[in-house]
Amino acid sequence: MLMRALVLLLALAVPASAATRLNVAIGADVNVVEVHKTVLGPGFKAQVPDVELNVVGTGTGEPASRAIYTKIKAQADAGRAPWDIDVALVSMAVASQMVKEGLLLRYVPQMKNAALVKGAEVKEAFGVNVDGYVVPMFQNQIAIAYNPAKVPAPPKTFDDLAKWVAANPGKFGYNGIKGGVSGVGFTMGWVYWKTGLYKQLTQGPFDRSREGAIREAITALRDFNKNVLVTNGNAGTLDALNRGEIAMGAVWIDQLVAWKNEGRMDPSITPVLPAPGLPIYPLYLVVPREAASREAAVRYVDYIATPEVQAKAIVERFGWYPGVDADRVLPLISAKSRELLFKGVSADDLARYSRQMPIKEYHDLITLAYEEIVR
Amino acid sequence: MWPLAVSIAASFTRAGAFTLANYGTVWRLYLRDVGYTLGVAAAGSALTFAIAIPVCGWLRARAFGPVEFLLKVPLFVPFVVVGHALRVFLSPWAPGLAGSWTGIALALAWKHLGLAADESQLEAARNFGAGTARLTRDVLVPMAGPSLAVSAVLIFSSMLASFSIPLMMGRGGGAQMLMIDVYYRFGQHGDFETAAALGVVGYLMAMGAALVYLRRLTPRRGGS
Repeated sequence: MLMRALVLLLALAVPASAATRLNVAIGADVNVVEVHKTVLGPGFKAQVPDVELNVVGTGTGEPASRAIYTKIKAQADAGRAPWDIDVALVSMAVASQMVKEGLLLRYVPQMKNAALVKGAEVKEAFGVNVDGYVVPMFQNQIAIAYNPAKVPAPPKTFDDLAKWVAANPGKFGYNGIKGGVSGVGFTMGWVYWKTGLYKQLTQGPFDRSREGAIREAITALRDFNKNVLVTNGNAGTLDALNRGEIAMGAVWIDQLVAWKNEGRMDPSITPVLPAPGLPIYPLYLVVPREAASREAAVRYVDYIATPEVQAKAIVERFGWYPGVDADRVLPLISAKSRELLFKGVSADDLARYSRQMPIKEYHDLITLAYEEIVR
Repeated sequence: MWPLAVSIAASFTRAGAFTLANYGTVWRLYLRDVGYTLGVAAAGSALTFAIAIPVCGWLRARAFGPVEFLLKVPLFVPFVVVGHALRVFLSPWAPGLAGSWTGIALALAWKHLGLAADESQLEAARNFGAGTARLTRDVLVPMAGPSLAVSAVLIFSSMLASFSIPLMMGRGGGAQMLMIDVYYRFGQHGDFETAAALGVVGYLMAMGAALVYLRRLTPRRGGS
């Protein structure tokens, strides 16, 4: 973590050469960094020539977002201003923590595209009111990927899934809670299904008396896991699917689509979203409260939120779901991209079965129960 | 010493107040992983010497460059590459083995072979000329005792702290190596305090190995 923060510090310390320098820290994989460097950055610069973008990646997963948080928090604690990150792409968990700690600027109302920033996930994240502080760059959905040759009738519900796993031991995989967010998300989907408490767990308020129902659901998950291959990460699940070690697994749809686009994945592997659904997890664009180039930062995020940019750079090029109003973005994508995007999981499925993550207290209670019971 | 002191202090703190709660969490959630980590490190160390000692004994007969070279190769291969290579190598033949404790111990042993086969053993072995397994057991191993002990402590401590190989090879469920738990605590939960307590447990285990070695050495030096 400290090493990541140090690398970030060195990368941001390079002297500026243009009139306005925009430091963009990306807490996501190298492909997301590349989008900013090669597509979004140049596109923005064509509109605003006096801005020079400096894009830095901090790695993958939650630790990547935490590295950004650590750096901004250190600058806030030191009482130094301005801070040297202007735009950051961080996870839902880290963004909600930063809002809670007063580290972010409430910038969305200043955007021309503010009306397109909509949905439950831009109002509340992990029980924190994030309204006005975040713009999802894109949305990523957790789904069940399956091999049609081995699973002719994919599960339509979690109940179907549990029955299939009992009948096919060792042929379903997911990455537990220590292998990344897709496994955490699957666990949350399982708890929503078993407890029927989706609304309460995602909207709060926190009620300790729900613990019994949660622990019962996690106990059932422990028994389910006896017939499951617990992989070491999302890539591990995709790899096991690709090699035929498993026939179904919980994965991020974007990574499945990316691997298929790169020819690294059996093209027949298809995602499905069983009822009552699995979490969707956006990555948020945020502007730190004391960013040096706040005005340019807001303009950059505004540019990314433009429907045309979302359609070309986010959906068509990378197969991600749009971060802003899908009704405005999806009419702009080609028929081929639409087919790729919604193969297996339709827009209707997404509308009905995309689930939010629970509020932080329940999230921690569920992961703790998992560590204690499933182990 | 400063970073060490800071992490020890953090392990006794929560929300700015002194507490033993972080160690309570370690005791409640990660005790099994402490045992698992000790077990994998012990098995890996034993396996390392089980392979290295006979090979070094055999090398006493003659200086055989290619074997010496092969013994040293793992020293220069990064941990992540070892984890990835062993996973890819083992998965098609024994899918269960790659992610199990034996797979991790095997990968750790391979990686540390070069440390076990140090130059003094090889040189000592060569001086004996032609010989047998008995010569290795009765003469070479006792002769190389002190350097074997140093190697054992170093290898065991290094295995206790291994992260990349368990990350690459391990599964997301079941017992985990301690450094995976450290990563999980701060990476997923931002819980630096419990991560620090896990780190302190790691220091204590490594120090335990070092103390056993030092206590073995002290009376010998005092008596000579």
